[in-house]
Amino acid sequence: MKTHESTVDQFDAEALKELRPENQLGKTALVLAAVCVAAWFSNIVNGSPLLDALPGMLILYAMVIIGLVVGRFCPFYLPSVAWVSLISIIATLPFFPGNGWIIARLAEVDFLAVVTPVLAYAGLALTGREFAMFKQTGWKLVIVALLVFTGTFIGSAVVAHVML
Amino acid sequence: MDLKLLLDWRLHLTVIVTSMFAEWVGIVRIPLGPGTLLLLPLLYAFIIGVLFNPHLFSAMGKVIPKPVSNAAGPIILIAILPFIAKFGSTIGPAIEQIIAAGPALILQELGNLGTMLIALPFAVLVLKMGREAIGATYSIAREPNIAIISDRYGLRSPEGIGIMGVYVVGTMFGTLYFALMAGYIASLDILDIRALAMACGVGSGSMVAACSAALAEAVPASKDELLAFAGASNLLTYATGLYISLFIALPVTEWMYKRLNGSRQEISHENS
Repeated sequence: MKTHESTVDQFDAEALKELRPENQLGKTALVLAAVCVAAWFSNIVNGSPLLDALPGMLILYAMVIIGLVVGRFCPFYLPSVAWVSLISIIATLPFFPGNGWIIARLAEVDFLAVVTPVLAYAGLALTGREFAMFKQTGWKLVIVALLVFTGTFIGSAVVAHVML
Repeated sequence: MDLKLLLDWRLHLTVIVTSMFAEWVGIVRIPLGPGTLLLLPLLYAFIIGVLFNPHLFSAMGKVIPKPVSNAAGPIILIAILPFIAKFGSTIGPAIEQIIAAGPALILQELGNLGTMLIALPFAVLVLKMGREAIGATYSIAREPNIAIISDRYGLRSPEGIGIMGVYVVGTMFGTLYFALMAGYIASLDILDIRALAMACGVGSGSMVAACSAALAEAVPASKDELLAFAGASNLLTYATGLYISLFIALPVTEWMYKRLNGSRQEISHENS
């Protein structure tokens, strides 16, 4: 049971607060620059050369920062991913000034190339605790989790399929 | 978290080299039965990351010391944000198609209730799990769902342990599993590819990413449309998913658990 409790401990309210990137904007801005550089390089292989992709990467950086600032000062809580996504939707809507230019610059950044570094960070970030918990409660929860993912995905897809 | 650790050059350089290598390998297609498995660069990036993880192989501590590896945890949340921005930019230009598909998009959230239909009976009847099955199967176990369970039962309860288990599995393998499953189901060509794209929206940012990227690779001609649908669906999940989990999914799971548990006890009585 010990492993369970320690896993639970990392999810107390304070840890969750520490995890919210909009609460420490300065630090987040620097780390964001580092991860954007990683995505920028990752994009060379199947996306565009560094200089061609630079405006697109800078636009993405700016969108994230604007989203975080809005999330930080907004009177109600929405996860930062929701804000960032809203900012980027608005900036690419057909009536937004300069939307064509923004979309063209963003086209230089490959969709998949931006997410590849995220998974590299994820692989590097797994802790001893996660490996240990995995060994202990391991296989039963893995099976259940995979069934959960499959059920959610197929359930949603079937409903959407019928509605379309 | 210490800024020096967060900006450690070894960590970011390892990630850059890993990502470039993974991108260079590119997409690998493996025919499997009636469909095709798609292996995406993000899969190789994750595996290479795990191989460099000092918690698994202590020799790797020379490349990435353990504190630096721990700093990578909070970085994931930030690293996904540029991707979310790129994602959102596929929704704006497609706004008219999305509005046209509005009812399907909103109602597919109800399909998330499919979560417990297979998983809960299996957990209770086959794996003989107790109340942890409720936490494990009432939702896809992302952060908002954890918040609900923590509020209702506390995270040290059996329900809390169940959801944390699925959360950890999702964190470790969810992205990869979604990519493999979505690509495979798309290649079977049974369900409308747009419906599959909407179904991608259920998970965390990286799950949505992997899932919709796999679909886009399966049907490259409708790439933009698919990404837009997945993105819009994910956004709606944030807006409505929490309430559906709280007011429908959790009570239904409780009810089903009681029924299943009852029938399990009857069977064991008959056997004894």
